[in-house]
Amino acid sequence: MDFYFGLAQTVGIHTLLGLSAYIVLLTGQVSLAQAAFFAIGAYAAGMLTVLAGWHVVPALGVGSILGAVTACAAGFPALRVKGLMLVVATLAFGEGVRLFFFNFDYQVAKGEIRVGPLGGEGFRQIRFFPEHGWATGEVMLFIWVFVIGVMALLWWFDRSRYGAVLRSVGEDEVAAQSVGINLTAVKVSAMTVGGAIAGAGGGLYAHYTTHIEHANFNVLLATFAIAYPIVGGLRNVFGTLAAVIFVQAFLIEGLRFLGDWRNLLFGALIVLAMNLRPHGLFGRRGA
Amino acid sequence: MLDFLQTLSDGVLFGATYALIGIGFTLVFGVMHKLNLSYGAASVGGAYCGLMIVKALLGTTPAWLVFLGALLGGGVLGWIVYVLCFHFIPLSNPLAPLMSTMGMLLLIDEVIVHLTAGMPQNYPAVFDDVMLRFGEFTLRGDLLVVFAVAVLCMIGLLALLYRTRLGLATRAVAQHAVAAELCGIRVARVNATTFVVTGLLGGIAGALIGASVGALSPLLTTPLTVKGLIVTVIGGLGSIPGAIVAGLLVGGFENVFQQFRGVTERDMYVMLLLFAFLVFRPGGLFPAKS
Repeated sequence: MDFYFGLAQTVGIHTLLGLSAYIVLLTGQVSLAQAAFFAIGAYAAGMLTVLAGWHVVPALGVGSILGAVTACAAGFPALRVKGLMLVVATLAFGEGVRLFFFNFDYQVAKGEIRVGPLGGEGFRQIRFFPEHGWATGEVMLFIWVFVIGVMALLWWFDRSRYGAVLRSVGEDEVAAQSVGINLTAVKVSAMTVGGAIAGAGGGLYAHYTTHIEHANFNVLLATFAIAYPIVGGLRNVFGTLAAVIFVQAFLIEGLRFLGDWRNLLFGALIVLAMNLRPHGLFGRRGA
Repeated sequence: MLDFLQTLSDGVLFGATYALIGIGFTLVFGVMHKLNLSYGAASVGGAYCGLMIVKALLGTTPAWLVFLGALLGGGVLGWIVYVLCFHFIPLSNPLAPLMSTMGMLLLIDEVIVHLTAGMPQNYPAVFDDVMLRFGEFTLRGDLLVVFAVAVLCMIGLLALLYRTRLGLATRAVAQHAVAAELCGIRVARVNATTFVVTGLLGGIAGALIGASVGALSPLLTTPLTVKGLIVTVIGGLGSIPGAIVAGLLVGGFENVFQQFRGVTERDMYVMLLLFAFLVFRPGGLFPAKS
């Protein structure tokens, strides 16, 4: 049973990551920086529970706020450039943040061992959950409270005026601007919300794996973040959830019996899925 | 001072390979207005093709044959990427090709890992025993060859684009695909040809990188993709001279910072250089006129 709880934890955390990219994609922007906000949330929340002895909930809150602030700050210069330039700009930003953590040392002696992030070796011993006796099932529920909360929030956004504004910018910037929508404000706000979601997701990730290092937050993770909403389609939040289940539960866990061949099939299936359903597995049909 | 010059010149010479990769990204972007994320992987894949085919046929690896094999392998891979990732996806959809080429990147990486059991492969170098000496200042022979071959490729590409009918058609499609189609140019064929041409360039770039590093490994693909994209943006999306200048610039820049700040911090400064460009000169060195 613990295996399925563990799988549900992974699915939950990746759903948060995917949703953080989903809201940015609604405005038509492709951001490869989501892994960076995820990393910032992970390191911040981990340092607060391990080094400062905070409870995990406020630590996640701070991680989330830091993710949002960074996303907002990165959003202003990055959103001056459009389309594919933005892909590269955010990619470089993400790599920059990863390299920052690669060179980031902040260790404090705690009892007999030194704890805290240590450059390339990563940040070990983020043991809030085991130290406080949380069972796997409880951790899973804790993660899913966040996932369901975020999904409900985004579902509500989609049905509100704000969601309509986001989608109108994504459909046609010129048309949106001509009806008086402030493009920069909309894009930066979407980035900020995305950053907050990614920050919280990162904090949860740090506590569930107990060990994070810069290599966890590489380009591949950033690509996964945008892959979920694109593969799932942008019609609603459930597309992202379905894509995470498709990728994490089916492609990664379900095909484990194939051994080495699984990795080969992984890329091929993504190529195939995009050829057959260019608007996502659950997106609209046609061009 | 001499150290600085030495580091800078080594970096600039190696930067020629970044320039080639950057040209590949920029050319596809210029013609199709799409990003081909699998290009770095396909380039390394082309270099692997050359190495493995020549090894399987001859048992030894003469450098020039391997280079020729890499060139052809890269071209074939370029065509495969076009068919699998672009041909059947509607042109109006910007997200789907981004994802399909990402899938292709993972696929090429995994095929390489599968065929080589994840072991780095030795790559034949050329003139690696030659050193040009000017007093204390030296130029490595293999890097000079890398630079020379890259320059030849660039000249060949520019001649193709500006001196042939195919180049005229390519530039026409880049300018306005619909207008080009109305003039009787087969847009799909031009797009496919662009991918083959960039694939040929990529194969050579992959082989040059293999030759100057001394080994090939699938681990090269991600850094190469990131560097290639950075070069493309610094040079100005769609600008070939821009990609060349930016490639040499980034090569020199990163080598200097590697010397002064160490290998772990090197790429951080390259990202900062890119961000400086995005903030102060978002169009790149040679912004597209529109």
